[in-house]
Amino acid sequence: MSSIDSTTTPSSADGSVPGGARLPPGIDRRGFLRSTAGGGVAIGLAALLPGCGREASAGAAAAGELRSLTGKEFEVARAAAEALLVGVPIDPSAIATRLDYELWAVGGAIEEDVRTVLQLLEHLTPLGGRLRRFTELNPTERLAYLETWRNSRFNLRRASFNAIKSFVYFFAYADPAMWAATGFPGTWPGRIPVGIPPIDFGEVV
Amino acid sequence: MIIEGTKRTGDLRDRADVVVVGTGAGGGTLAAYLSDRGHDVVMLDRGGFFRAEDFHQREREAMGEFNGRRGMDTSDDNAIFINYARAIGGTTVHYWGDSFRAPHDRLERWRTEHGLDWMTPAALDPHFDAIESELGIHLAGESLFNDNNRLVRRGCEALGVEGAAVPTARVDCIACGWTQFGCAFNRKTSQLITTIPRVSRQGGRVYSDARVDRILIENGRARGVEGALLNRATGRPQGRFRVDANTVVLAGGALGTAELLLRSTADPVVGRRLYINPHYWVFADFGREIDNVGGIPTAYAVHEWRRERRSPSGEYQGGGYIMLCSHQQPGVTAAMLAETGAAHAERMSKYRQLGSLMSVIDEEHPGRVYLRDGRHAVSYRVRGIDALKAVDYLKNASRIFLAAGAREVWVPDIHSTVVRSERNLASITLRSVMPNAQFAAGSHLMGTAPLGSDPEDSFADPSGQAHRIPGVWVADGAALPGSVSVDPSLTIMAVARHIAAGIDGAAS
Repeated sequence: MSSIDSTTTPSSADGSVPGGARLPPGIDRRGFLRSTAGGGVAIGLAALLPGCGREASAGAAAAGELRSLTGKEFEVARAAAEALLVGVPIDPSAIATRLDYELWAVGGAIEEDVRTVLQLLEHLTPLGGRLRRFTELNPTERLAYLETWRNSRFNLRRASFNAIKSFVYFFAYADPAMWAATGFPGTWPGRIPVGIPPIDFGEVV
Repeated sequence: MIIEGTKRTGDLRDRADVVVVGTGAGGGTLAAYLSDRGHDVVMLDRGGFFRAEDFHQREREAMGEFNGRRGMDTSDDNAIFINYARAIGGTTVHYWGDSFRAPHDRLERWRTEHGLDWMTPAALDPHFDAIESELGIHLAGESLFNDNNRLVRRGCEALGVEGAAVPTARVDCIACGWTQFGCAFNRKTSQLITTIPRVSRQGGRVYSDARVDRILIENGRARGVEGALLNRATGRPQGRFRVDANTVVLAGGALGTAELLLRSTADPVVGRRLYINPHYWVFADFGREIDNVGGIPTAYAVHEWRRERRSPSGEYQGGGYIMLCSHQQPGVTAAMLAETGAAHAERMSKYRQLGSLMSVIDEEHPGRVYLRDGRHAVSYRVRGIDALKAVDYLKNASRIFLAAGAREVWVPDIHSTVVRSERNLASITLRSVMPNAQFAAGSHLMGTAPLGSDPEDSFADPSGQAHRIPGVWVADGAALPGSVSVDPSLTIMAVARHIAAGIDGAAS
């Protein structure tokens, strides 16, 4: 269950946010969103945004094979990758799928934070003067919106941008399909035969 | 014997003279020293056991397989990537092999400021000598230099700046370029292929995938540890273990050791200071393809500015860092750049033209480690004089590359700062190093359970034993009282060996 879903059952919430809303249980595990100035407000906003929790539930129901992200969060991640990867022949859905897997594998504060960032990206577009949600913008508009986060004077927004940007670009360019575009010749094992001196580890069980 | 925890289900119990939590620079060195002298040793590591054949060098998979938190750990404001390994052999599996002795001025500071009387060249040099011999540490020769290293050397020589070949831990290295993802050819002399096999062959038990949850303390004294055996694929527990030992040595790295202590004790000093030697990068476009994928990342280092310079009135005037040559595969490089969209793609198209330097900032202001949801969290902000050092580094690194013939130098900040001449250096300001304005990292993690004579300011006494928990020792980066001002790996090994000698002496 996403932390946003859980705002409907606030029995273990640990405090209030502006407006009197209760924080979701996942708040304890949050990282930079909680530690960055304004982060608590941002989390509160995510909890209060109309439709955020409902969409997460609907997305989760439709998500099928996703391990961490809801269907909606997956779409936001895919849309962000599509906007960031201009002229890069990597399927944005593959990036979103990888994000889903990595968040599931790492769990904890990192998973909570990135998922919340995706929700904020989707729903805070009005603060940037855009009336449509992130996934409803075209890729050019999305990129311009992301750049307002990158260049923000608020550390929280820069941090949120970096969380998404670093992931997208790492997994796009770490893909061997991109090696030719960068001129990276590839790794040695399996390509260049080299003898490996044996190591006697003793008994291994 | 090496026991892979991921292959075991059910509960385990073992008993030893010494249990060592962590198998890296400190743990491996200490365990082998004691094993060599007849002590029965158990080693535990949360990471997996990998052999050369497992080190495929592909960053996409390696980041998750061998790095802590799958390579996604950061400071709690996401501004600094916190880099450490999770594998048998610890951080020596992915370190670059840089093996500097602690500078004498730093030993003298630790001796005088922390009451560590043995922090002298006379006491430590025999340990440095022994380790250097065992690991085959030698100055990087020309065969290990790639073009990036050569260009930085050329820039330093043109400017009259002090730099030197780096002492490196490898034997018959083939210069494949990707030592940071585990040595695929058993040439980098990590703990994985040196001390760990020896401990295993000599009767020690080395458990992988073994997460230590708690130190067992009875009547105020350590009696062992307990924890969970993890499924390597899922990270989920699949059994419990307990190791009984009257000597518990903590060597799980500055984060791992702090996390375990914070879970097990209420020691007020633990985690209060965390040094990371902040790393910032610059990239230099040489306008032509260079070899930035072979050799070793750091065959050459810049020492000119290691010691900070102040005016007679104490005003900062520069320095307080060294520079290491650096190269990364495309994925990490792409993650470092601050551009987006077409501008990002255009920069990445020049990947093979890029030289790179990274900083090792000798910081004055440490961060701290605390628990969140039972796991470590890092609070760290580059601030005050340390931010000034970062700016000074960015300028001097740019100067070196310009002197080496770079067409332009990129400071990978959100302002897309480009340096084409000395005149452009003024555009590098504190704005470049504010949090999340550019990629920054810390991989030299130190000081969270420091040695010292003052129990109010240190976790362990000068021998390495905890002031407040007899039987607990610390022998890793956590034990260092502060930043070494160079890569700390060799210093950690030497300190661990000194502590091991004390444990051995006390036992006999």
